Amino acid sequence: MNDRNRHYDRNRPRQGSPGPEGFSDGRLVEVHSQIARDKQEPAQGFSMTPILVVFLFCALGFWAGLYLTRNSRGFSASAFDLNAPVAFASAGPVVFEPDAAKGQTLYLANCAACHQPTGAGVPGAFPPLVKSLWVAGDEKRIIKIIIAGMAGEVEIDGVKYNGNMPNVGVALKDAQIAHIATYVRSAWGNAAEPVMDASVAAVRKEIGARGQYSPKEVLDAHPLGN
Amino acid sequence: MTQEQRSGRPDEDRSRLSRIDAPLRAPFLLLFGSAALWLMLSSALSLLTTLKALPAGIGSYEWFAHGRLEAAARNAFVYGWAGNALFAINLWLLAQLGRFEIRNGWMASVGGLFWNLALTWCTGSVIVSGPGAYALLDFPVGAGPVLAASFALAGLWPVVAYAKRPTGHNFAAQWFVVGASVTFLLAFLLAQAAVFWAPASGVVQAVAHSWYVRTVHLLWLGGSALGLGYYFVSKVLARPLHAYYLASVAFWTYFLFAGWTAPASLIGSPVPLWIQSIGVVGSMMLLVPVLLIGLNLLGALSRDGGWFRAWNSTSLRFISIGIVSLLASLAIAAWASDRSVNAGLRFTSFAEGQNLLLLYAGVTFCVFGAAYAALPRVSGGRWPSAAAIHVHFWASTLGAAGAAFAAFAHPSAHGFISAVSAALLLIGHLAFASTAFAALLSGVPAGESQPAHD
Repeated sequence: MNDRNRHYDRNRPRQGSPGPEGFSDGRLVEVHSQIARDKQEPAQGFSMTPILVVFLFCALGFWAGLYLTRNSRGFSASAFDLNAPVAFASAGPVVFEPDAAKGQTLYLANCAACHQPTGAGVPGAFPPLVKSLWVAGDEKRIIKIIIAGMAGEVEIDGVKYNGNMPNVGVALKDAQIAHIATYVRSAWGNAAEPVMDASVAAVRKEIGARGQYSPKEVLDAHPLGN
Repeated sequence: MTQEQRSGRPDEDRSRLSRIDAPLRAPFLLLFGSAALWLMLSSALSLLTTLKALPAGIGSYEWFAHGRLEAAARNAFVYGWAGNALFAINLWLLAQLGRFEIRNGWMASVGGLFWNLALTWCTGSVIVSGPGAYALLDFPVGAGPVLAASFALAGLWPVVAYAKRPTGHNFAAQWFVVGASVTFLLAFLLAQAAVFWAPASGVVQAVAHSWYVRTVHLLWLGGSALGLGYYFVSKVLARPLHAYYLASVAFWTYFLFAGWTAPASLIGSPVPLWIQSIGVVGSMMLLVPVLLIGLNLLGALSRDGGWFRAWNSTSLRFISIGIVSLLASLAIAAWASDRSVNAGLRFTSFAEGQNLLLLYAGVTFCVFGAAYAALPRVSGGRWPSAAAIHVHFWASTLGAAGAAFAAFAHPSAHGFISAVSAALLLIGHLAFASTAFAALLSGVPAGESQPAHD
């Protein structure tokens, strides 16, 4: 720079560069105008850059078209949720399929605040779901706890948890609970069967409106390990 | 470019430069001086918001509620600091590039005066009666027209300077700055209309607001910063930009896609799916100009020890960090617009980190760099202290890094690290503002200015 404020710059290059002056403003504009007109830097060979840029631009544009068509539900003004089932006039009843990916989204929104996104829980307060016998085995156990909640002391791997889980599931649909349970039962080293929405509906009907479970009540009905 | 072409020109430039710079002095003093004051106010308010508990004496007043302080700090930063500083710097830059000798510079001063009065009113009202529902639009309704009119007086000078340039030559920095200035005024008027004057239905208001915020961030502030990047990288390194013939594509695609990225901030909210999807597509398409701008600027910096020379020039040191941060924040925004990634980031402090990277480490660093070159030229003074510049650079860099770390990586240490970073930023800004005032006031008055010497 040809500025007077350069005196504080330490170690500024004293030689080798095209003069310590830098570009003057007039020169700067002139040189670049020339390049823009000639489309090629002086003394430069054939360049692949513009071709690659055009290729990238086309590829991104192609992807953008596909993405918009697939994720816009026909540009309907009343479609808000990508995961909502699409109603087709002739498709008949919608068949439920447990989906761990949907379950993960729901888990992050409804459960992860306490049980953590990693399922590791918080010692003393929120029990872990990682490789948990409570999660695996009989699916009724996890469904009951999600719907009605559970309060009281639990001991897992020698650590005591005195938690107070609210009845989160009351506000969720059968299908949503089934997705969550399917996700939890398949993530973090758990390997239990997926859960269907019909099972959730059956449990919900069976237990009716009730308060939180105590750990003993759950274990008496569904002992760990099965 | 041969040797004799270059010699001979500087002298001619010199005499013209002082004729260009001298009439800029009064508006520049007013605008940049106010900018520095707003910067200090904003960083003091941010420091207060990072403290978990305010001192007992003031903590009980509702004026010091977290939401009010945060909104006031945001307005002071965007409109007070960045706005005023860009009025001054953009006018200076385009006057240099277009050989523009400003007449009626008092209009810029009057515009700046009213801009600052209206902004003081807005900030006061946010503190006293609480912020509105829309960030960056939480003013009293009457302040909108005043701000728009004073922007027209103070902020549109780059357009005049560009239109009146004597030769047909032009340069990318001019396009970005002219585009940024015009776009802000249009976006501001449309947002005021859609949100306040003729309120649209609820969903449309939210979409219009997100579009306004993104336009201010990416086009007005980001576009101006990119203009500064194009100018200073080429000027300080004294070489043409890399693959410069692609700059016009970069400019048009940037201005085309930046506005379309707005709905990406609404993913997962009750806005029609196709609007959300357009946000995703816009964010991805913005990668095209990001790549091209990176090719132009970082390509030039990467040749022949460019980074080394950038480090040794105060202006380019700030500006190269600014450009890298700005481009990085746009690339991260494209990644974060992916629906499954977005689901995990939506309610975290990630957006805060993004804004910090874009507006502070990006735009503000570019403005700092430009100020170190422009202030002495316009005021005729000197930067009084090299030590203060070092304090400013390191405090700002470490403060920004700490705040970014707190927002992106380490939410559990948020309170402490944020507070320390905010304190560092305040220290850096005090060093910058005090030396900037000294540089602004130490110069000779315009009437006595002699031809520049070196």
